This record gives sequence, C-alpha cells and structure tokens, in this order.
Amino acid sequence: MSAVLAGAAAPSIGAGAYRVADAEALRTRHRAWLAANLPACWRSDNPDYQGPSLDEGQAWEAELHRQGLWGVAWPKAYGGHGLTLREHLVANQEIGRLPMPESFNSIGKELAGPIILAIATEEQKKRYIPAILEMREIWCQGFSEPDSGSDLASLRTRAVKDGAAWRVTGQKIWTSGAHRAQRCLLLARTGTMESRHRGLSLFALKLDQPGVTVKPIKQMDGNAEFNEVFFDNALVEPEDALGEQEKGWAAAVRVLEVERGTNRMYRAWRLEEELKHLLTVCRSDPALARVINNPAYVQRIAQVQVDIEIHKRMVESVVDDLVAGASIGGRGSLIKQHWSEYHQRQAALSVEILDQASYPPSPAVARAQQRFRQVYLRARAETIYAGTTQIQLGIIADRILKLPREA
Amino acid sequence: MSDDPIREIAESAARAAALAAAMEPAAAARRLGEDGLLGVLAPEAVGGLGLPLAAAAAVVAATESALVPLPVGEAMLAARLLAGPAPEVASAIVAGEAIVAVATAGTLTLAGGTVTGTVGRAQAGLAARWLVAPATGGGAALLDLSAPGVAVEEEKGLDLERPPARVTATGAAAIALPADDAWAAFQADALLLRAAGALGAAEHCLGRAIDHLSNRRQFGKALVGFQGLRFELARQKLVLEGARAALGHALSVAGQDPRAEGIARLVARSACGDAAPAIIEAAIQLHGGMGFTWDLGLHRQLRRARDAALALDPVAARAALAGRLEQAWAA
Ligand SMILES: Cc1cc2nc3c(=O)[nH]c(=O)nc-3n(C[C@H](O)[C@H](O)[C@H](O)COP(=O)(O)OP(=O)(O)OC[C@H]3O[C@@H](n4cnc5c(N)ncnc54)[C@H](O)[C@@H]3O)c2cc1C
Repeated sequence: MSAVLAGAAAPSIGAGAYRVADAEALRTRHRAWLAANLPACWRSDNPDYQGPSLDEGQAWEAELHRQGLWGVAWPKAYGGHGLTLREHLVANQEIGRLPMPESFNSIGKELAGPIILAIATEEQKKRYIPAILEMREIWCQGFSEPDSGSDLASLRTRAVKDGAAWRVTGQKIWTSGAHRAQRCLLLARTGTMESRHRGLSLFALKLDQPGVTVKPIKQMDGNAEFNEVFFDNALVEPEDALGEQEKGWAAAVRVLEVERGTNRMYRAWRLEEELKHLLTVCRSDPALARVINNPAYVQRIAQVQVDIEIHKRMVESVVDDLVAGASIGGRGSLIKQHWSEYHQRQAALSVEILDQASYPPSPAVARAQQRFRQVYLRARAETIYAGTTQIQLGIIADRILKLPREA
Repeated sequence: MSDDPIREIAESAARAAALAAAMEPAAAARRLGEDGLLGVLAPEAVGGLGLPLAAAAAVVAATESALVPLPVGEAMLAARLLAGPAPEVASAIVAGEAIVAVATAGTLTLAGGTVTGTVGRAQAGLAARWLVAPATGGGAALLDLSAPGVAVEEEKGLDLERPPARVTATGAAAIALPADDAWAAFQADALLLRAAGALGAAEHCLGRAIDHLSNRRQFGKALVGFQGLRFELARQKLVLEGARAALGHALSVAGQDPRAEGIARLVARSACGDAAPAIIEAAIQLHGGMGFTWDLGLHRQLRRARDAALALDPVAARAALAGRLEQAWAA
C-alpha cells in the first residue's frame, strides 16, 4: 500500500497525463518526508556520521518503497506504484538532494528489476519484483569473469541442462554486493565458445546453496564490496531461467544500457549535494573561504556546476524520450562517460581545496575532508565499472556515430 | 664513488628500498642508514656524503616507488639542516637510529627554550623520535617527541604507510632553528624532493600498466596492441617526460643560481604536481577492475602522490610564476 497515494492530501497522479502541478506536490511531499525521517547520523555531511547496518538499511529502503520513493514506475500488480519515469525522476531528485546512504540493493532495483519486467514470465515477475521492493531479496550482477571483462562475450561460466533445471560451473569476479545478496543475475554460456555472444543465457541464480562460494575482494578504498563468486555444479531451478535460452546477450546489453542510462537517476543531484557540502564547509573556515574566492578555484568550481547542469539535462531528456516510448540505446554511454569523468575532476578538486583548511580543522571540516578523500578514491572505479571509459568511447563511435569499421 | 655517483646512489637506493618497504619504520630507517642513504645530503662531520640535491632525488624516487614507510626526503634534509645546531641528532638520523618527522601544518610558539601549540600532518609522526616544526617568527623548532609536555596522536589522511600525526606541545623543551637561508632551503628542497618521489612513483606505476597490458588478453589479442591504449600510454609518457625535464632542471640549478632557481622550482612544482597523480590514476584505469583492488597496490602510490601534489600546490606555483614572467624571460 503506497502511503504517498493514500489519503486526501495525496496528489492525484496515476493513470493519465502527467501534470506539472502534481509533480510539484509529489516533490513537496517527498522532501518533507525525507527531511523528517532520514536519521541524522546517516548523513555523510554529519561530523558524527555513522552509516546504517545492513538490517537498518533494509528496513529503511523497504520504508522508502512504502513511501513511494522506490518502485515508482513499476506496475502495481507487482508492488510498484504504477506511475511513470517522470515521477521516478522526481523521487530521485529528492533522494539526490540529501547526503543519504547508497542503496544496498541498487542492482535489484535498477538492473535486475527492469530486465525482469522486460523479459520474465508473469509468474517470475510476481515472485521477484515484490521481494526486491520489500528488500527480502538483494541481487548482484554476475557478468564479468577473470578472463572476460571488456570482452564480455568471451565468458566461460557454463550452464548445462539437468532435466528441466540447469547446473552452473565457472567463476565470476568483481561481483558487487554478492556477499550479502540472495540472487545473482547470471550471464552464462549455454552454447559453444565459438558462438560468442549468441550462446549466452540469463538466470536468476539463488546464492544460498552448496555449489556457490563467495569471496570478498578488498578494494583500494579499504572496503570489500565486490567479490569473486565460484560456481561448482550450482543449481538453477527451472523457474529461475530468465527470458529465452541463448537470447541472454540481447538482454544483457539491455541491462547494461539501463545501467549506464537510468541507473541511480539521482546522481546529478547527489553530485550537486556534494558540491554544496564542499562550499558550505568552506564558508565556515576563514582559510577555505579565501581559497574558494581565488579566481583559479572560482573557475573550476563553476565548471563543476556546468557539468552538473549538463548531466541533469541529459538525464531529463532521456526520461522524456523513454516516457514517449523510445529506447535508450547507446545514449547511456554519453551520460555515463560524462558523469564519470567530471565526478573524478570534482572529487580531486574537493580534496585539493579542503587540504588548505585552517589547522587544526574544525569537526565539520574534518568530516568533509574524510568524506571527499573516500569519494576521491571511490571515483577511480567509476570509469571502470559498467564498462570502462575505453569501452564507452567505442560504443559512442560504433552505435552513436555509427563509424564504419573498414573504410 | 664511481664517476657517476648519482647512478650508483640510485642503484643502491633501489636495492635498499625493496627491502625496507617490507619493514617496520624503525627497521627500515636502520636499513637505509646502513647503506648511507639517509646521509646523502648531510656533511661528513655527521657521517653524511655531502652530495647535491639530485642524489637525494634519486633516493626518494626509489623509496617512494617501493613505498618505504618513512619520509626519506625529509630525513635527508633534516640531517643537513641539523648538522650545525644539533649534530648528535643529525648523526642519529644519518645512521638510521632515530626517525625524524616534519610538521607541515600549524605553528608552534617558541618562548625561552620551550614550545607550545599544535602542529600536524607530520608523516610517520607516530614512529618518530624527533620533530621539526614551523615556529613563530618564521623559523622552526626541533623537539624530542618522547620528552615531557609532548602528545602525539594519529590523524586521518590519504597515506596509509606513513599516517600523519598531530603533535601538541605544552611548554616542551625545544631547540630553536632560526629563520635563515638553511631553513628556507630546507622548505624549498623538501618540495623538490616530494616532486621527485611522486614522479618516481608515477614512472613505476606507468611501467606496471605497460606490463599488465602487454600480458592481458581480451578480444583475442594482447590489449597493448589496441591503438587506443597505445596512444593512452604514449600520452602518459609525454606527461612524465615533460615533468621529468622540469624537475631535472630545477635539481641541477638548485643552490647554484638563486635567480633561475625560483623560476625552475615553480615550473617543477606545477609540472610534477599535476603529472604524478594523473599518471598513477591512468595506470589504475588501465588495470580495469584489478586496478581498483587493494592488493594490486597502485592506490598506495596514488595516495602518496596525491598528498605530494597537495603540498606542491600547482595552483599557487603557477600564480607565483605568472607574477615573475619578466624574470623568467630575462634568464
Ligand atoms: C567497483 C567495481 C564494481 C564492479 N561491479 C561489477 C558487478 O557487480 N558485476 C559485474 O559483472 N562486473 C562488475 N565490475 C567489473 C567491470 O565491469 C569490469 O572491471 C570492466 O568491464 C573491465 O573489465 P576488466 O576489469 O576485465 O578490464 P579489461 O577488460 O582487462 O581492461 C583493462 C584495460 O584495457 C582497456 N581496454 C579493454 N579493451 C579495450 C579495447 N578494445 N580498446 C581500448 N582499451 C581497451 C580497458 O578500458 C581497461 O582500461 C565492477 C568493477 C568495479 C571496478
């Protein structure tokens, strides 16, 4: 039951044409609810910052769903709110405006969910989608392998028929969140190696079983959020094969388009929040207040805002087009490349500015220094995951510019 | 010494750094001290070699690539600085028997042989016996971190092997170091050595990226065969060599021509401060998912090089250079 749609004060949005007045009412409602309910210690600008545990995060995200902030554009039949991507965008803008914890299940909500809605059976949708929204099932994405990263179509993890079921053997790597996930959106080979991308199929594998071993890998930022996942004759129940057999590549490409195009739609607004946090802290410290008035920095700060504005406009126009029924195609690569590059510049700039604070720093400055050091280190991954810079540039050349390979 | 003492120092530093990198700070200092590497700049009276700054640059290029857990450049410079005012401390630093740290933030107040105040960002300060810190009046103070009235605590920073420390002194005994040419040279040379260390680490990381791409196969061939990657590696090499040219010039004129020196140092700060972290970031990118792992370890060089770049402050260096273009053109 969606609280946002219940009660007399709820804006009347649902079936029918989108109206600006409704969006603004929805925005006001989301903003007020988040302001009243986001625990202060989870705000990454709080000097007493202490992020949520997994349990707390699950409860919080399930509540975000109940409040109409997640599952916005998913059909009501599967627990969604039955609105459009425009209302999804409004919710994301409000989420982005606050220094809120990242989702523990963004792969479920933003990659697995959309692909399930696109290719799964009715029975599968009823099983998987509510479990994602209620945070009962966390998903991970098992695509990359040790010998198949950029060249994903060469992957070797094999799924073979075992009666109506499937048995999986092989290894995935860099699988984000696998250590806390219940399900893996698995891309595996069901055809020959020679068939490359034509011999791949997609599965919703259950991780809690004897044939699966998950080993966390420590990252350069000190956390261990991604994993190696080993499959030794692991079972996929017949009802967990997704879409048509050997059509996994087309589905995977769609997953990746979504990952690059609409995933974490709040990002531009979150990066703007990072910039606001930086400048707010700088104004509180005399030395930093001078730095941000230095013309050399004024230019670079304003350039970050230019990039944020471009990012927002790119996202909004993709939403317009998707609502009008178009597909994202290669455009996600433009968005992903744009934000991943400017965010790295923004993060380095933030560290550089904050280093010039008065000494010893105030608690607010020390908190910002720590936050942006982490942001800086983590941003190094942003031009690697979801397809590296080099791969995005290749997609822009091939699919957007449509450059001929042989002249 | 052979006819190329700097090459010999570089080779000896590479050998010692590879060993010292795996040691605790105290053992690492002794190891480098045994090979005479911490006394490269100090006069013979305190056991040093009295060599020019370029020799010290070769040492830090090796110790920063290998991730030795000590501020080696600062140790070499402190031994030179302290040879006059505190020869016993200088000898202990040269021998690797005592670790020295340098505070780069805050100022201590000197009064009648004692200091009071809070300073920080002293790399490896928790492992150090001695601290050199800026003091009121533009000079510095040397204090014994084990003496009464001194508290040392860890600070958060990027560098993990030499975590910075904050030092609070309350009427602690200290030796005053005057605001003279020696202290000015210490501060200016410390920046050049940070540039040399960061650039050495960047060169090391670029070499590792080349090795990785030569061995890693995707799309049926070695990645290094893709022109996009060849151009990327070539571009990083261009950035590296430009910064190396600027640094080499600054080192060669250091201490000889005070007029040219200023310009050369500013150019080196700007070039190396931008180049070193950018090259290491590219090396991480070129390793793909592996690049983001803790165990590959390039983040350790990145953390140090980013710290060095913050100290080199290319923005301030360029602002100073812009105000002195007439002087640059007259050289
Ligand atoms: C933090 C993080 C989280 C991740 N999470 C997941 C996840 O949840 N699930 C999942 O399946 N994967 C995940 N990945 C993996 C990611 O998708 C891969 O790392 C990425 O696709 C690159 O593959 P690779 O690591 O094998 O690098 P490689 O493909 O070996 O690439 C090495 C370098 O070569 C470049 N390169 C490759 N091919 C070419 C070419 N033809 N031309 C020019 N340059 C080229 C690359 O850009 C890169 O710089 C994650 C990665 C990271 C860093």
